[in-house]
Amino acid sequence: MAGYLNFQVPAGVRDLLPPEATALRELEQELVAFFQSWGYREVLTPTFEFVETFQAGSPAGEEGSLYKFIDRDGRVLALRPEMTAPIARLVATSLRREDVPLRLCYRAGVFRYEEPRAGRLREFHQAGVELIGAGGEAADAEIIALAVETLLKAGLQEFRIGIGQVAVTKGVLQDLELPREAVAQIKAALAGKDLVGLEGLIDGYNLKGRKKRHLELLATLHGGKEALEEARTNFNRGGAIAALAGLERVWKALAACGLEKWLFIDLGILRDFDYYTGIVFEGYVPGLGVPVCGGGRYDDLLGRFGYPCPATGFALGLERILMARSEVKGTGQDEGYLVAGRDLAAVLRRARELHREGTTVIIDGQSENRRQAADRAAARGLALVWVEPLTGTGEPQGKDDV
Amino acid sequence: MGTAMLTLALPKGKLGDDAIQLLAKAGFPVKGIATETRQLVFSFPAEGVRYIICRPTDVPTYVEHGAADLGIVGKDTLAEAGADVFELVDLGFGYCRFVVAAPRRRWEEAGHSLETLLTGSRRVATKFPRVAAAFFRERGLPVEIIKLHGNIELAPLVGLADLIVDIVSTGRTLKENDLVEVTGIFPSTARLIANRVSYRINYQRLRPVIEALKAAAQGGAGIATCS
Repeated sequence: MAGYLNFQVPAGVRDLLPPEATALRELEQELVAFFQSWGYREVLTPTFEFVETFQAGSPAGEEGSLYKFIDRDGRVLALRPEMTAPIARLVATSLRREDVPLRLCYRAGVFRYEEPRAGRLREFHQAGVELIGAGGEAADAEIIALAVETLLKAGLQEFRIGIGQVAVTKGVLQDLELPREAVAQIKAALAGKDLVGLEGLIDGYNLKGRKKRHLELLATLHGGKEALEEARTNFNRGGAIAALAGLERVWKALAACGLEKWLFIDLGILRDFDYYTGIVFEGYVPGLGVPVCGGGRYDDLLGRFGYPCPATGFALGLERILMARSEVKGTGQDEGYLVAGRDLAAVLRRARELHREGTTVIIDGQSENRRQAADRAAARGLALVWVEPLTGTGEPQGKDDV
Repeated sequence: MGTAMLTLALPKGKLGDDAIQLLAKAGFPVKGIATETRQLVFSFPAEGVRYIICRPTDVPTYVEHGAADLGIVGKDTLAEAGADVFELVDLGFGYCRFVVAAPRRRWEEAGHSLETLLTGSRRVATKFPRVAAAFFRERGLPVEIIKLHGNIELAPLVGLADLIVDIVSTGRTLKENDLVEVTGIFPSTARLIANRVSYRINYQRLRPVIEALKAAAQGGAGIATCS
């Protein structure tokens, strides 16, 4: 036949078949219910908005990664690349009269124009929380504790969450007293863990002594409490002191409630460096080459929407969690009944009765006889209900009608 | 792929052979490994190490996806792959350089100026389109990149391209084809790379490996060149 449509879908997007779709939706439900049990209320925001919302400082809103289009008034719109900026906008407008802290959560499909490589899709699903209007260690500790519990809830066991503090790095970079371009290069090398590049820059800018040691330490410091100790001994200037003291209080609180085994400190975790302002973290699962969740403190974002206040939060990549969990829940096998018979009216009536009991009922209008129907039921793991034709007129029709 | 066995991706060929030498020097098991055999996986369960042998251009891919924890690959390949991996150690061997080269006569006619050379002609043949594009973009020079898979020096001889971007070690191939180096882009040596998640989550396991390789590399591993 001529004129087939193009059956392909574009790179980076995909269909979800029944088992995967079920697994994804169940995971979403489970996570939102869990967030709600921590007092986070769900919000929904539009799939597309004015591009300025996403450009307000969120890293995913960078020009290159947005799907943009123009509406009939000539205004530029974009598909949401993440949910933090829309929620910041929503809080700064519709919820600005509500008492803080605000605890909000979401689940959403997001869109990023990225090279479809290693675990990256152009449309993917996130669930997450934002804790807005709460600064300080209590909020940081709550968010990290919630991240741990959420990954456990999602069925992961072997994960670890690495915690960093970008304020330490920012302090060290400031202390370098180098021109802006040099700082940008060093920042890029630190963020990308390009240790070879970093070494070249240290030599190139002739950094010695404290400055050199600090940069090397930032790139490699890793571990538990002892790493924190080492950091405190070395980064003993300016803002770093307070930042590390705060990190230590968060660590102690989390350790005291038994979460230490899932956590480690790594000051090299910078995430999207210009956007975050304090404690940041990422969740890792062995064997999966990309983080399953990430977040941190972003105290400057709300101010860009005219509502300055501190905030923190995190997002989980649901496809990545499903990949890490690997076993797909929901087998495609239904539990319930297959209702078949030669008399359509009788079949529909029986199906309706069974539906009211809340079980899965599949109507089989194809089977010619009981044996065929039994085979069909067996193939799907359903119990067969064979309905004989309604006989005579004595049967009280519609007795079940409500 | 689990946490127990450490997987290291090695490139086939000369660079891989040098990598094996370095591994041996750093005290890792290398008995029986060769990069040009049919066997692609070599396991040493007692030491908890496994090597996978793959095409050089695939090393960053295996590491980026987490199929390998660590990899050894040339900076040239790494830069072209643009993979999101951690670059940990400059291993020192496998030296070569990225260069822009042009036919000698045209270079002289252009008065040794890249801008002049590019006024009438803008076609650049290369095996490394990403590196080439980045180089010309940073200089604001619009060019048309033509991707080839080998013997780049042929392209200007037959009028397919006006310039080439390629890696050279001695420069002999350029000379033989009457091409001259217009400018260097950056040098390349073998690098130790890590998967970003594995590096964080298996840090205790990876760290001694990284340190041992770093020490062996700095201990004066013979500088070899790539062809």
